[in-house]
Amino acid sequence: MESLMAVSIGVLFATAIYMMLRRSIVKLVIGLMLLSNAANLLIFTTAGMRRGAPPLVPEGLGAPTSAVADPLPQALVLTAIVIAFGVLSFAVVLVRRAWEVVRADDLDQMKDTDT
Amino acid sequence: MTPQIALPILIPLFAGALSLVCWRSRTMQRLIAVGGTAGLLITSCWLLMTVNREGIQVMQVGGWSAPFGISLVADLLGAIMVVLTGVIGLAVALFSLASIGRGHQDYGYFPLMHLLLAGVAGAFLTGDIFNLYVWFEVMLVASFALLILGSEKPQMEGAIKYVTLNLVSSVLFLVAVGLLYGMVGTLNMADIARRLASLEDTGMVDVLAMMFMVAFGIKAAAFPLFFWLPASYHTPPVAVSALFAGLLTKVGVYALFRVFTLIFHHSPGYTHEILQWGAALTMLSGVLGAAAQFEFRRILSFHIVSQIGYMILGLALFTPLAILGGVFYIVHHIIVKTNLFLISGIVQRLRGSYRLEALGGVYRDHPWLAVLFLVSALSLAGMPPLSGFFAKFIVIRAGLEAEAYGVTAIALLVGLLTLYSMTKIWNEAFWKAPPDDEADRVPPRQVGQRELWLMGAPVVGLAICTLVIGLQPDALYALAEASAAQLLAPERYIEAVLGTPGGGV
Amino acid sequence: MQLAVLGGFVLAGMAPLLHRWFAARTPLLMAALPAGIAAWLLAQWPMVVAGGALRLEWAWAPGLDISLTFLLDGLSLMFALLISVIGAVVLVYSGEYLRGHRDLPRFLVVITAFMMSMLGLVLSDNLVALFVFWELTSITSYLLIGFNHTDSAARKAAQQGLLVTVGGGLALLAGFVMLAQAGDSWSLQALVERGDVLRQHELYTPLLICILLGAFTKSAQFPFHFWLPNAMAAPTPVSAYLHSATMVKAGIYLLARLHPALSGSEAWVFTLSLVGALTMVTGAFLAIRHTGIKTLLAYSTVMALGTLTLLLGIGTPGALSAFVIFLLAHAFYKGTLFLVAGILDHETGTKDVTAMGGLRRVMPLTAALAMLAALSLAGLPPLLGFVGKELMFVSLLEASSWQKSLLVPAFVAAFLTLSVAAIVALRPFFGARQETPRTPREPPLAMLAGPLLLTSLSLLLGLAPGGLDGLTRAVLADIGASGADVKLALWHGINLPLGLSLASLVLGGLVYRYWDGLRGMLRRLDPLMTRGPEAGYDALMAGLVALAAWQTRFLQNGYIRNYLVMTLLVMLGLVGHAFFFRHGLAIELGVSVYIHEAVVAGLMVAGAVSACVMRARLAAVAAVGVMGFCIALTFVLFSAPDLAITQLLVETLTVVLLALVLFRLPRFATLSTPIERLRDLVVATLTGGMITLLMLSVLSGERLPRISDWMVANSQPQAHGHNIVNVILVDFRALDTLGEIFVLALAAVGVHAMLRFHARGNPAGDDGGSGGPMKSGTLILSVAARLLLPLQLLFSVFLLLRGHDEPGGGFIAALAASGGFALYLFAFGRDALRQVLRVSPRDLVGVGLLLGMLSTLPAWWSGEPFFTAHWWTIPVIDFKASTPLIFDIGVYLAVVGVVLTAITALVDNDRHDEG
Repeated sequence: MESLMAVSIGVLFATAIYMMLRRSIVKLVIGLMLLSNAANLLIFTTAGMRRGAPPLVPEGLGAPTSAVADPLPQALVLTAIVIAFGVLSFAVVLVRRAWEVVRADDLDQMKDTDT
Repeated sequence: MTPQIALPILIPLFAGALSLVCWRSRTMQRLIAVGGTAGLLITSCWLLMTVNREGIQVMQVGGWSAPFGISLVADLLGAIMVVLTGVIGLAVALFSLASIGRGHQDYGYFPLMHLLLAGVAGAFLTGDIFNLYVWFEVMLVASFALLILGSEKPQMEGAIKYVTLNLVSSVLFLVAVGLLYGMVGTLNMADIARRLASLEDTGMVDVLAMMFMVAFGIKAAAFPLFFWLPASYHTPPVAVSALFAGLLTKVGVYALFRVFTLIFHHSPGYTHEILQWGAALTMLSGVLGAAAQFEFRRILSFHIVSQIGYMILGLALFTPLAILGGVFYIVHHIIVKTNLFLISGIVQRLRGSYRLEALGGVYRDHPWLAVLFLVSALSLAGMPPLSGFFAKFIVIRAGLEAEAYGVTAIALLVGLLTLYSMTKIWNEAFWKAPPDDEADRVPPRQVGQRELWLMGAPVVGLAICTLVIGLQPDALYALAEASAAQLLAPERYIEAVLGTPGGGV
Repeated sequence: MQLAVLGGFVLAGMAPLLHRWFAARTPLLMAALPAGIAAWLLAQWPMVVAGGALRLEWAWAPGLDISLTFLLDGLSLMFALLISVIGAVVLVYSGEYLRGHRDLPRFLVVITAFMMSMLGLVLSDNLVALFVFWELTSITSYLLIGFNHTDSAARKAAQQGLLVTVGGGLALLAGFVMLAQAGDSWSLQALVERGDVLRQHELYTPLLICILLGAFTKSAQFPFHFWLPNAMAAPTPVSAYLHSATMVKAGIYLLARLHPALSGSEAWVFTLSLVGALTMVTGAFLAIRHTGIKTLLAYSTVMALGTLTLLLGIGTPGALSAFVIFLLAHAFYKGTLFLVAGILDHETGTKDVTAMGGLRRVMPLTAALAMLAALSLAGLPPLLGFVGKELMFVSLLEASSWQKSLLVPAFVAAFLTLSVAAIVALRPFFGARQETPRTPREPPLAMLAGPLLLTSLSLLLGLAPGGLDGLTRAVLADIGASGADVKLALWHGINLPLGLSLASLVLGGLVYRYWDGLRGMLRRLDPLMTRGPEAGYDALMAGLVALAAWQTRFLQNGYIRNYLVMTLLVMLGLVGHAFFFRHGLAIELGVSVYIHEAVVAGLMVAGAVSACVMRARLAAVAAVGVMGFCIALTFVLFSAPDLAITQLLVETLTVVLLALVLFRLPRFATLSTPIERLRDLVVATLTGGMITLLMLSVLSGERLPRISDWMVANSQPQAHGHNIVNVILVDFRALDTLGEIFVLALAAVGVHAMLRFHARGNPAGDDGGSGGPMKSGTLILSVAARLLLPLQLLFSVFLLLRGHDEPGGGFIAALAASGGFALYLFAFGRDALRQVLRVSPRDLVGVGLLLGMLSTLPAWWSGEPFFTAHWWTIPVIDFKASTPLIFDIGVYLAVVGVVLTAITALVDNDRHDEG
């Protein structure tokens, strides 16, 4: 399964980057979403996946009786999801404000601050 | 217990949260701004003294012993960086009191500033690679918000590039952390370093090193990954620019220093060679970028890039003297670059523009400001006897002693071109008579005496810093030397973190 | 001595203050310092002449091998005396020259600082200290050339001078470092004794090149001579002091100082002689093309500097004594002539010699001084210049074979110089009286004192050069010709050098006679002149700017996708290189997949791909939603319930947000060309492929044991939680979570500010907009909202409290609660929500953050590391309270606050747009 996921995640990265390279700012922000999702999945997958063994300690016991899924990457991904949520909400609103100010969905019209 | 390790993070966090609660009281926010940054400075100095006296300090957060919990680690480099964070924080806070508009203050300028400082301090003090990511994000989102505060068109355009490229960097970092955890199963940097040494597959270690290099290279604005910086740094209010200029890229540089001395130091012939060329090109392209600019803050922005090159060069040469030079350079640069941005802000306030064309006559009317600029600018260009000279001198000497003649020649040339840029600003903004047509200049508001004092005080303070470092470089030299020795002996760091089970007592 | 120099800098800084107190007398007062130093130096004269040297130790930065140790021997005594004596003279002079000028105090600051730097330069024993002073002279020179700073020519000249000298200075720095490396010391005194080691060292050639570059640029040697005439934009006292008597001789000083250490090799002899000779001729030849008195003198200075270099190149004891005498003579006469030029310019208001005439009647004393100085310049008896020139001819005649040929350029330079002397000294004072912008008269004593002193020295020493025997011997000993027999005399009898002098007198006279015609002829060479080294400098500067502009267009071109492509390509290049060349492809593909898992993965990919190709915005958003949903499913399938819930909630919120925001944006349009799309596709595929490869090789590679095994084992026993993920979040790695909620809070502040605060244009007030329900508020919605809110709140509290043991926790609970609030908001509007909430969402954020931070504090009382968990059992309800729980409540409040802040801001903004 990990191999299949690795390929899928590769595709997610590819789509994310393709979207980010478009001229539309909306596509850019969708690309960013895909990208952060892909990264989260990558952490989750690379640490190894396990079916049907959530990292919970049964009631009344001190430790799980059998092997459970690695809880640490789950915690990391949870943190990463939340952070990505914050950042992406910001980005989404930024895109919208940028559109209101520049009045164009075209990134090529947003290059006045350089050069 | 040594609370001073955590305090430089907690104080700005606390100040930020408190400012949020006091959202409606401008007075309270201003008081907290000064109090919080002063507290940060004091505790960080305390920390530095402790580290200097007793060696690397560790706190196992939550009492969970390393590597299971998160460790806060303060070695000399980290402590020095935190002190600088405090210095810049206080300077910018004072400057902001006078220069930041009411609107900005009403919409969270001060909480954002505190949290940015917290993120920066956290990044300097954490000993955990994922926690480093979290602090990066704190710093980053704070900088996003500061960057757009005001919602003007250039800010929006700059912010889109800034946000996108920095997010790419964060994702790369995250991917690298994920892969690293998959390989070594730990997140504590000291533990990673220890475990990587036992790994047989060194090729994959190099691959990861490259990923970290690119991720941090973007944060540090190294060539050719710096695009976000010149696109955005000149757009927000100048106090924000100054804060960014002083601290943000340096966090990237710090991260490079940390991972390439602690974790990825096994094949310097490969990794550090690449860093070396990256450093050379960074210096060169940054200074060339500046040569094409005719706006005060844009010139300064490109010079950040070019000087990041010097710092990375120090790391890349990987000799004790070179690392020492890198650390020295970082200290010097943070102080001077922030100061130059602040000065550009005062000039703008007095003259109503950042464009060199529209400026002039500052030398005539405000000689004290001219002197302050000259001190900082010449220091930036590495002229003696200011801090920049010794910083450059050490790096150059290290380069020649390491027989890296090519990059050293570039470093020297870049020094000259930096001087060219600085004299360009001096000639145009300070010496030239003010232009007659004031067509597209915002007529400057009358600047009150109190305002001028508030803006002037931090500038004077920072200028004195560079002067004192220049006249009496030995103290900083000794500190940088000790920190370089620590960096080149990662086993000391590892032992400090992992060797005291049960928490930092 | 160090104290005197450092004190001098302080005195310089105090000049404006002094000027406020003493006004016009300030320069006179400040001249006391160099005069005092000169007196002290004179007192050391006997000791030095007797062959002694004074070494004054002074530590500066021992760690860096830098000391401020001063060394007073013959060579430095000679230079220091020149600097302090002429310095005092110039200070007095400029008080008069710039009388009443508003920038006089600033001038005094800089020139005094220069004086001290120059003294430091010639006295320093340490290479770095010398370099520090060296650069300081460049900077002060820059400030002085640009003294008339509103004049753009002055600014340009100042920058040119600075860049040329500092450029050389940087080479010099590199040279010094190599020198110290090769000679294993930073002390000049020590290095000088290791000449043999240095000349054998492999670094000898590069270090020589670097040091010579430094010296040649500073001392205006060909082809760097061009900055010096331009530097005449400075006030005349500055030209007299910096650009003829002292600073430009710094390079010469350095060459002399290092003579014993570096000379003797072919490279040294050849370069110095050749460059010196070229500089001589160039200077002399260019001089007679000009009519500006200062330019004339500047080129003649170039010529003199060339001569000094040439003499050092020859390096025989004879040449070296010629060097000493010529140096002194030049300082005396050139200083005088410049000061006279200043007087002329001050009194007449013009600098053009052809515009002056007959002045000897109105200013006889000036005329007399000028003529005496010119005699010395021309190398005519009975002045010191004559002695110097004769010695030069002698040493050339005695030089080795090929160097004899350098007599030709020396002779040419000599007769051209003679005509220059004539032009400067005769032209303004004789002939018909010409009208000048100002009516000239004899200047005040303060301006005449300097020329008077210098000329008398020139005359006295010319008549009795024996007085210099001792000093010359001492200097010679320092520069590598110790024990040389020095007997200076004015008259050596009739010999070949005298013949040469006579011949040059005749030729020089002819040039003077036909000067006006000659200039016309030389003007025809102008096209050639524009191709000189200065044109090279200009081209270099223009090229630099062009290159910079090109690079900016190429790299910093404003197109974000170019930035992205570049960034990704760099990543691919570096990571790919490391992967294929240092790791190699070694991948095991283990495939054990259930069909439903494959379907989920397939759907996920399909969602992502279709988001790319969808033309409708909402469809694209929906496709992203599908992908997010599949990710949540993956989490469910692979044992991550907390993640699944979080992903689901976050995805829902994100999609709602996207829909809310993008609703107003225009439709997608196809903006890029097929080729661009192909390029993007290639970059994207490469990146994706790289990621897959990396993952596969990590998955199939060596894997070390996890630290999480410890967490699984200790979650319950030590942290009292059954949900290990939650325990990690609120206890083991609570610091991450603390950072995380701060990120959210920051994002909310940012969003709020973006939507509500516009620095320019319509500033939306904090309470703008009406608070009524949204248009979409239907009856069903409002009933549902009213009913759901308490239920949802209750449910969220339940999720929060059980979080430590089962899936749930602060974040998830908060999202559930905010769902209820959001519904309420949509149904009843913001004001109603505010009534329910009673606090502003923003305060909720602040309180939540504070609570989260407060939970770290109990540990402080017990002296444990912060964030250490504390547990209390509340007796009555048998509920276990703990700091992690308080922390989680903080998270809960903060997240609710964040979501509500963002949503209210968005809703308000929409209403603004509608209204």
